[in-house]
Amino acid sequence: MKRILRGAVLPVLVFALWEAGSRAGLLPMDTFSRPSDIVLAFAAGVSDGSIPLATWLTAQAALVGFAIAAVAGILVGVILGLSPFLERTVGPSIEALRPVPAIALTPLTLLLFGFGLRMEAAVVAFACVWPVLIVTVAAVRGIEPRLLEVAQALELAFPARLRKIILPAALGRIVVGLRVAVSISLIVAVTVEIVMNPRGLGYGMIIAQQSLQPALMYAQLLWLGLLGWGLNALLTRAFGQWHGAFGPGVSP
Amino acid sequence: MRESPAAVLSLEKVRVAFGGRPVLSDISFEVAAGEFLCVVGPSGCGKTTLIRMLAGLLAPTAGSIVFGGRPLAGTSRDRAIIFQDYTKALLPWRTVAGNIALSLEAGGIAEPERGRRVEALLAKMQLAHAAVQYPGQLSGGMQQRVQIARCLAQQPKLLLMDEPFGALDAITRQTLQDEIARLVAEERTTVVFITHDLEEAIYLGDRVIVLQSNPGRIAEMIAVKIPRPRSQLETREDRRFLEHRHRLFGLLQDAEG
Repeated sequence: MKRILRGAVLPVLVFALWEAGSRAGLLPMDTFSRPSDIVLAFAAGVSDGSIPLATWLTAQAALVGFAIAAVAGILVGVILGLSPFLERTVGPSIEALRPVPAIALTPLTLLLFGFGLRMEAAVVAFACVWPVLIVTVAAVRGIEPRLLEVAQALELAFPARLRKIILPAALGRIVVGLRVAVSISLIVAVTVEIVMNPRGLGYGMIIAQQSLQPALMYAQLLWLGLLGWGLNALLTRAFGQWHGAFGPGVSP
Repeated sequence: MRESPAAVLSLEKVRVAFGGRPVLSDISFEVAAGEFLCVVGPSGCGKTTLIRMLAGLLAPTAGSIVFGGRPLAGTSRDRAIIFQDYTKALLPWRTVAGNIALSLEAGGIAEPERGRRVEALLAKMQLAHAAVQYPGQLSGGMQQRVQIARCLAQQPKLLLMDEPFGALDAITRQTLQDEIARLVAEERTTVVFITHDLEEAIYLGDRVIVLQSNPGRIAEMIAVKIPRPRSQLETREDRRFLEHRHRLFGLLQDAEG
């Protein structure tokens, strides 16, 4: 609690100075809305339901894309991590695809899926899959060989080996990739909305900016920041226990 | 084959080479049912290679290994291996009870039988109070107890131990030596025990094999005719114990050179 309060000092100070500067006429109103106006715009957006709806649409696309990337990334990552042969075969293609900016796929996904959830989630999934995939390959490859020998000595069948040894042993590191992917998912979803897809918070910001409502634009921008922060905090909490649970000096 | 009827395990002219470099050469010995065989040798003599081969984690380059009347091929749940590095061999995300349960799960033993057996092993290895703790929260000796319990849960016909007490302090080591001697005597388990500690080998073994390096080969094989149960104090002062120690000590010195 104390840390949250301390962390809040700087933002509160910035907003206070901003409000004061604005009231003193030091900041142009058409680009720097007053924080008080931003709060009012946010309240209006919430009460008329437009911000909750936009939030839902953006979160939906981000989460669907993230989920697809997580499942695909872990699945392929485990396979490639276990098979150096496949990794050598598929690896170069992955290295060639990975640098393609996800946003550059927007026109293609538009052709494939049209406007809406599917094209946005597809772009998000493409952007998110790489960190998950690469971290998973490394995590599986980095599993303590002794553990695999224990599994072998116990004659665990492959599904049991995967469920009881490989996945839990790799999970601690896979989580790192998942966290990176989550923050990417929100960024990419909003970017796709700003660039092309007429839905969600990104689109809402464009509309607010074009209709000369900077306060509403700021409101959505700040709200986005808060969402990203909350999402990351949630994830840290959910998976943080995984790291700390096994006593001192042990990292799975 | 000069296999006697009571031999559970027999090796015949076994050779192991890694990339042309011989690690073990001309290894032939037999282990009788219920026997406690210790293999002692300097580091780099191929002790660990030998035990990994017996576990089925490694195939010999030449020669034959027969276990229970059949050629030994690959791993099997009736041969359990206890590794020296218990921190790496235990699942850090499972509790003590969960780690022991792993080998029962592998053996297809379902609840509630599984729970009963875990309980019994926890009691047997004096781990009951630590059942819900994670390996990372335990001392080295306790962690090694967990690994021993996990291997005993397999109810193996052959227990393979690779310097299991090498990383423990002297007092813990002696306690565990006596416990393992008692447990395998109760269960009549056959044991192959690797160590670099000559006194440990004589203290625990019915027979002791001394390996020499470059390539690893059998230098000597002695029978330890000191009655059981043995005692840390008296056995180590026994005339026969000291005689064996003197004789093998010299061999190990030679082997080192």
